[in-house]
Amino acid sequence: MELIRLQNVLKQFDKGAVTALNNINLSIEQGSFVSIIGPSGSGKSTLLNMLGALDSPDSGQVIINGVDLSTQKDLSDFRRHEIGFVFQLHNLIPNLSVQDNVEIPLMDSGLSEKEKHRRALLFIEAVGLLDKRKQKPNKLSGGERQRVAIARALVNFPSIILADEPTGALDTKTGAKILDVLRFVQRSVGATLIIVTHDIDVARLAQRTIEIRDGQIIRDYYNRR
Amino acid sequence: MESSVQTTFNEGGAEITVTNETNIGGASGLLNVSMIDEIRNMTNVSDVAGELQVIEIVNTSLPSQSPLARMTVYGLDSSKLNLIGIKNVNGSVYEENSTQAIVGKYYCEKNNISIGDNLTIYGKNFDVVGIYETGAMYKDNSVYVSLDKLQNITDTYDVSSILVKTTENANDTAISQNIEKKYENISTLTSEELSSMLDNVIGILDSASLAISGLAIIVGAIGVINTMIMAVYERTKEIGVLKSIGWKSKKILIMILGETLVLTILSGIIGSLFGILIAEVGVKFFGTNGFTLVYTPQTFILAFGITIIVGIIGGVYPAYKASKLAPTEALRYE
Repeated sequence: MELIRLQNVLKQFDKGAVTALNNINLSIEQGSFVSIIGPSGSGKSTLLNMLGALDSPDSGQVIINGVDLSTQKDLSDFRRHEIGFVFQLHNLIPNLSVQDNVEIPLMDSGLSEKEKHRRALLFIEAVGLLDKRKQKPNKLSGGERQRVAIARALVNFPSIILADEPTGALDTKTGAKILDVLRFVQRSVGATLIIVTHDIDVARLAQRTIEIRDGQIIRDYYNRR
Repeated sequence: MESSVQTTFNEGGAEITVTNETNIGGASGLLNVSMIDEIRNMTNVSDVAGELQVIEIVNTSLPSQSPLARMTVYGLDSSKLNLIGIKNVNGSVYEENSTQAIVGKYYCEKNNISIGDNLTIYGKNFDVVGIYETGAMYKDNSVYVSLDKLQNITDTYDVSSILVKTTENANDTAISQNIEKKYENISTLTSEELSSMLDNVIGILDSASLAISGLAIIVGAIGVINTMIMAVYERTKEIGVLKSIGWKSKKILIMILGETLVLTILSGIIGSLFGILIAEVGVKFFGTNGFTLVYTPQTFILAFGITIIVGIIGGVYPAYKASKLAPTEALRYE
């Protein structure tokens, strides 16, 4: 079942001097694992921002779950309910504990405090950090921080998980562990996982790889198992 | 400020002070002593006393105009001390025609004088027998001796001023005008006129205080705005993360304004405590005797009100700017 559709998406910067996305057409199935690869400046992060409703196209349409995002006035509710972001540098709030960081997306959810705690602890346990739930991010290793960021991205049960170079700042072994965690929780909640990466080995783990260069899709293929 | 100054200018008992028109600072033009009895016999006058003022240079190494070089000595009958507001004397009051003196508390503290010490006035030794305090700094910075004795040693048989106490509910202005009509070349000052002069002084002090406060508020506001802008600037990426996980612009605006409010309330409390500490330390170490510190609830309410208003104004701009930040822009910030 189709979850995401991009139709003739154009995005330019610097008053048209730079074309980040040039007439992109794309369809992504619900529950799939997709990797987006390409060199620096190819437009992959801009594409991810479009999919995450963080940016809007100059022309064309981004349709997610049947909703054309260009028709929405305020996309913050959409982001809170449908999207989970994992950044390269985790971007945790330094003065909040692991549990408080994971609970941030639940702040306006209407859930009781008890339910918020229960749900946060569920995902903290899923990423293997239950014993460190009271600690501040500066007491954690890089891999642990990224696991907290994954728990935060999933705590709202989003339909799409977007990960921008989630292993880019980690060593190979820790990076592999993070991907395992990400895959495990993605399967658990049945979300669609889209990863932007430079690393071809990471890209191969996905069911499908989209290769992008100069703002255009140059290859789109399914990886053999 | 006003409360402090009013306490400082504590008035004496006499409602009218008569001086020679040429009398500048009480130490030049004199009044004939016969006027004392004549004024006493006027209608609605209950008590009269003559006062002689002389200036004794006590420190020749300083310029003669320096307050530290001068000692102001008054001659007044000991039974009339109530007319200048001296009600309590620590020790005893001088005997008439004796070489005894009482000294104001401020002058004692400034010159390290205590009961039993000696003062030299016009070449004569005077024993300090008492220390008085009226609460008015200019009065407590003087020395009082017997009028007869001071007239005797200065070879003066007139007085510098005449203090007039009127009966209850008497019209002081009318009495004052009668005195001025009766004698040539004299001037009178009623307690009402003194009060009006005091009001002017308070007005000037209040204006100065307001100007200083205004300057402090402007400097403080710039500081708050700068601090908040920097605080928001440093949290740009954090704001980007919050937006990417679905926080609305309004929620970010409220969060930053809320933080500003907490910061300003805390700074208001700390500032008030610090202000009290500085004022107390200042009075204790810099010797402003007779200057009573008065803390009124209005002062603190005003200070807090201004702090919170300045804080909110200072916080609105950076909060608005942060709330309008595009999430992609904020996330790119390093």
